[in-house]
Amino acid sequence: MLEVAAIASLLSGGLCGLLGYYAQRFNIATLSFSVAHAALAGASLALVIKSDVTYSALVFAILFALGMGIISTRISPHERELISMGFFSLFNAIAIFMVYMSTSYVLSTVSISVVLWGSVLAITKSKLILLAGITAIFMLYLFIFKPQIDSILFDRKLAKAEGVDVDLHTIVLLLFIGIAIAFALRLTGGFLVFTLLYNPVASAMQLVRKAQWQQVLAPTIGMLAALLGLTFSYILDWPVGATIAIISSTILMVAYITRTIINMKLSREARRAQISRGR
Amino acid sequence: MEAIQGEAIRLSDVWVAYSGSGRPAIREINLKIDYNSLILITGPNGAGKTTLIETCLGLLKPIRGEVFLLGVNTKSRKIIKVRRKCSYVPQDFMKPPYESYTAKHVIKLGLATDMCLFGLSDLEIKRRILNVAKMLQIEDLLDRPIGTLSGGQQQKVYIARALVREPKVLFLDEPFSSIDEESRYVIAKVIHEYVHQKKACALVVSHDVDPIIDLSDIIVHMDNGKITNVEVN
Ligand SMILES: Nc1ncnc2c1ncn2[C@@H]1O[C@H](COP(=O)(O)OP(=O)(O)O)[C@@H](O)[C@H]1O
Ligand SMILES: [Mg+2]
Repeated sequence: MLEVAAIASLLSGGLCGLLGYYAQRFNIATLSFSVAHAALAGASLALVIKSDVTYSALVFAILFALGMGIISTRISPHERELISMGFFSLFNAIAIFMVYMSTSYVLSTVSISVVLWGSVLAITKSKLILLAGITAIFMLYLFIFKPQIDSILFDRKLAKAEGVDVDLHTIVLLLFIGIAIAFALRLTGGFLVFTLLYNPVASAMQLVRKAQWQQVLAPTIGMLAALLGLTFSYILDWPVGATIAIISSTILMVAYITRTIINMKLSREARRAQISRGR
Repeated sequence: MEAIQGEAIRLSDVWVAYSGSGRPAIREINLKIDYNSLILITGPNGAGKTTLIETCLGLLKPIRGEVFLLGVNTKSRKIIKVRRKCSYVPQDFMKPPYESYTAKHVIKLGLATDMCLFGLSDLEIKRRILNVAKMLQIEDLLDRPIGTLSGGQQQKVYIARALVREPKVLFLDEPFSSIDEESRYVIAKVIHEYVHQKKACALVVSHDVDPIIDLSDIIVHMDNGKITNVEVN
């Protein structure tokens, strides 16, 4: 059981870290958060209509990702942020509403912990296989479309001008995010799942500047945070999702402080060099 | 309106406005561009030259009028495929020092849409890259990270990327802005030769003091969002 949870945490952390990297580079970070919360709303709805939490989350996340993906090709990035934030709040409200409406029986099952704080028990072997499958498909997608995706990462406008279907790749990325989140949600709970998307890549961007390194570091940090979180939650009997979030946020803080110290040192050295040249 | 065979680009009564801005950036644009021609577009800053180019590519959609690129309306989804036969050198191109793609890789990215499973072979890609690098005299830059190159050097890399695609239409937005006098002649000649050899067409935004003026077939003057004069050279 614990091995299943450990593998699931590595897969969720790694996949979400990688997806988070692409979400940042594609400029759809905010939109990806609202996709994560669409999954939360879907999961919470399952409490009331008494269906499978993951599949309900999956349907919500996919429909929202598709809808917003298509709409956002026709609106400005500013409008996209605005709509994303609107849905972000709405989905949180739906989640709370559904928990409020759930029967006391449901509130005593594992489903509620999936929605709220995640659960090691919620990860079954079959869900793990599906998570591994989606990870494999995403890696395959990155491999097949590497030239086009590299071109978008290098210069989005130029890629578009050269006939790369930037909008389509953005929609596909959003779909992968929706699907991955619907599964990762079981581990972290619906309210904290977006920390797996954001914190690892944000930490990586603090620590290294070269995109190639960020791309490797983000999923590595994601895996580390998820595995450490799982371990601590097991030892201390803490809720697993919150523990993962605390660890990944701590990593982000440390990365930020490291970056700040390095920057201060560099500028001091630069100043010193300037002064000595001035003489 | 139907597109006419043999025309590379046609704009009829085209108006374009940026979202949030009340005033159209270009207006009443009528222009027809044939293959086998080099068009120079000149005009002061803010005249609408960049807007015109991005409208031709379909990156900006007109609020009025219609644009056909290689016979396809830029409002249609088919335009995505059509762009594969076009190249673009944007006006703002500088990459920061930590951008670590090598010049060679940046040029190769221009072939991204040809690199699918049954696309160009590695050998052919290599040959094409070396070929354009030789023409533009940037062979010695190929292995350097793009961010460490000077403005002029980066600009040459983008021109190489544009040419390596062997496009039917070349859009070059102030491609000489950072390039030294001597190289301008070389590159202008390369572009001129390419256009006539491949029966392609090129729209080049440039100042009319540039060496390319003598090589261009048509000079389009723009001011304040309008075409003010069209000269046949
Ligand atoms: N992204 C933008 N948003 C709003 N207005 C813009 C934008 N880009 C250009 N403009 C405006 O459109 C007009 C034409 O700009 P542009 O096509 O860049 O001119 P040029 O390339 O000839 O210098 C200018 O008035 C400019 O201020
Ligand atoms: Mg311009």
